[in-house]
Amino acid sequence: MRNIWIVFAKETLDNLRDRRSLYLGLIYPVIGAVLLGMLVSFVGGMFRGQGTSSISLAVVGGDQAPELMDFLTGNGIDLLPGPNAPRQAVRAGSADAVLVIPDGYAEDFGAMRPASLDMVINATRLSTVITVSRVVGVLRAYDREIGETRLRNHGIDPAVASPLNIRSINVGRSRNLAGFFLNMLPPFIIFTIFVGGVYLAIDTTSGERERGSLEPLLANPVARWEFMLGKAMATFLFTLTAVLVQLLAFKLMFELVSAGEYGVKVNPDLGAFVGVLLISLPLVAFAVALQIIVATVSRSIKETQTYLGLLPLLPSLPGMILVFVPLKAQVWMMTIPTFGQILLIGRLMRSEPVAWLHVVVSVGMTGLITGLLLYFAAYLYDRDQLLFGG
Amino acid sequence: MIEVESLWKSFNGVEALRGIGFSARDGEITGLIGPNGAGKTTTLRILYTVLRPDQGLASVDGFDSTRQRRQVQQRIGVLPDNRGLYPRLTAREHIRYYGRLHGLNGDQLESRIDRLIERLGMEDFCDRRAKGYSKGQTLKVALGRALVHEPHNVMFDEPTNGLDIASSRAVRQLIREIRDQGRCVLFSSHIMQEVEALCDRIVVIAEGRVVADGTPEDLRQSTGRADLEDVFLRAVAVED
Repeated sequence: MRNIWIVFAKETLDNLRDRRSLYLGLIYPVIGAVLLGMLVSFVGGMFRGQGTSSISLAVVGGDQAPELMDFLTGNGIDLLPGPNAPRQAVRAGSADAVLVIPDGYAEDFGAMRPASLDMVINATRLSTVITVSRVVGVLRAYDREIGETRLRNHGIDPAVASPLNIRSINVGRSRNLAGFFLNMLPPFIIFTIFVGGVYLAIDTTSGERERGSLEPLLANPVARWEFMLGKAMATFLFTLTAVLVQLLAFKLMFELVSAGEYGVKVNPDLGAFVGVLLISLPLVAFAVALQIIVATVSRSIKETQTYLGLLPLLPSLPGMILVFVPLKAQVWMMTIPTFGQILLIGRLMRSEPVAWLHVVVSVGMTGLITGLLLYFAAYLYDRDQLLFGG
Repeated sequence: MIEVESLWKSFNGVEALRGIGFSARDGEITGLIGPNGAGKTTTLRILYTVLRPDQGLASVDGFDSTRQRRQVQQRIGVLPDNRGLYPRLTAREHIRYYGRLHGLNGDQLESRIDRLIERLGMEDFCDRRAKGYSKGQTLKVALGRALVHEPHNVMFDEPTNGLDIASSRAVRQLIREIRDQGRCVLFSSHIMQEVEALCDRIVVIAEGRVVADGTPEDLRQSTGRADLEDVFLRAVAVED
C-alpha cells in the first residue's frame, strides 16, 4: 500500500505542476456548462419575445390602412416607417420583417374584395420566427374580426363561417425546451469522464517511457502492479476532479438560468448531482483502466494521443443519439459500461425516479469489468514489452 | 556480488545474448566492454530486473534477478542507459522519490539527500525543476537517485556517455569511492581507455558471448599484447 501511495503522490504532484493536466481537469469541464448556459439563455431569450413585451414592425404604405395600423398598435406592435427597398432590407437583416400594403389596398378593402397584404420575411433567419409568427397572428385576428363584422352586417351569424374550432392540447410539462437541455448533460458528463484524466494516463505511462525515466523507475523494489495502480489512482483523481468541477458548473448554470427570465424553470436538485457523481465513480475507474491499457501498448506518446483522442467519441455517441431519441431503460442496458450510466444520469438530471436494480447492475457490472481491465493492465505492466511499448 | 551464468535472450528471433557468463566481486570494479550491439545493455537489464532471460541465471548477492526481484532490487543501484528525469520535479524531489520507494523517509532520508547533493556538487540547481538541466546535471540527479539507498551493488550503463571531461572524471572518482567502500561495481563502456583506467576486472563481450575475461594484466599476458585496445580488437575479431 505504501508504495502505491508514494507513486500516486509523486504523479499527483508532478501533474499539478502541469498546465495541460490542469486545463483538462479544471478549465475544460467548465466550458460545457458555459456553452450550455449560453445556449439556454439565448434560446430562452428568443422565446421570451412571445410574451407580453412589444415587438416592432416596419410598415410600407400604412397610410392606406389607418384602422389596421391602430389594430396592430393596440396589440402591442410598435410601427416603424418602412424602408425604401423592403426586400433588400429583410434579406440584409436590417429589418426582421416588413409589412407592405400595396397601392390598391384601400380600394379593394372598401369594395369588400379580398385586399392583399405582403409580409416580406426571411425564413432562413431563425431569430425572426417569433416576430413573424406574432405579426401574422395579429393580422389573422384582424382578418377574422373584419369578416365577422361584415357577416353580422348582412344578418348572418359569424359562427356559420367557422365550421371547425381546432384546439391543440399540450400535455408536455411546459418544459420541453428544458428537457432538451437536460438530455444534453449525459453526453457532456460521459465525455468528461473519458477526457478529464487522459493527459495523466499518457504522461505516466507512454510519457514515462518516452522520457527514459521508466527504466530506472522499474529497478526500484516495487511490484509492477503497484506502479500501475499508483498511476491509475492519480489518473482517477484528476478525472474525478474534472467530473466534480463539471457537475458544480452545471449546477451553478442551472441556478443562474432558472433564476433569470429565460423561461427555463428547471433545476435538478443537489441530490441528483450527488447521485450522478456516485453512479459515475465506477465508470471513471473504467475509463482510467482503458486509458492505461492503451498507453501501455502504444509505442509512443503520439500514438497514445491519437487513440485516446478518439476514445471519448465512442462512448458519448449513444448519449448524443439519446438527446433526440429517448429510450426506455432496460436492465440489460445497465450491463454495458457508459450506456447504463448515460441512461441513469439522464433520468437523474430529469428528476425522474431511478430503479435501484438498475443502479446496482450498472455499478456492479462496470466495477467488475473495470477489475478485469485493471488485472489485464497489471499483466501488461509485468511484460518485458513495457520497456519498449507494443 | 553479481553473477551471470549462461544467459540467453532473443528479441523477435534475433539473439542478443548467447550464453553470457561472468561474475563481479565485492570491492572490485568490473567493466563490461564490447562493440555496439554486443549485449552489454541487455545483460545489465536482466541483472537489474527489467528484462527476463530466456535461459540462464542472473543473480545479485545470491538472489535470482527473475524470481527474487524484490530482494535484488533492494540491493542494487542502477544508472541505465535511459536516464530521463521528470521535467517538473526538482533534483531533490527526484532523489526523494527513489529514496521513498526504497522504504526511506523522514530525517534519515533528508540527510542522505543533503549528503548526496553535496557529494555530487548539485547545490546550485538541486531546488530547480529538471527542465533545462544540462547533460552533466541530469547525470548527477540520475546518480543521486541510484545511490540514495546506499546499495551494496551498483550497475552503471555507459555512465560517462556524452559527458564533458570534468564530469567524466567526477564519475570515475565516484566509482572508485564506491569500490573502496567494499561494494560491488559493474559498469559498461565502449571506451577502452576508461575501462583500463578504472577496472580491476574486464569482461569483453562480442555478439552475445564473453570472449575474454580477467584483470587487465591477465588479458595483456594471455594475448601477448601491451595495448589493451589491441587485446580488445583481437578478441572481438576472433569472434568474427
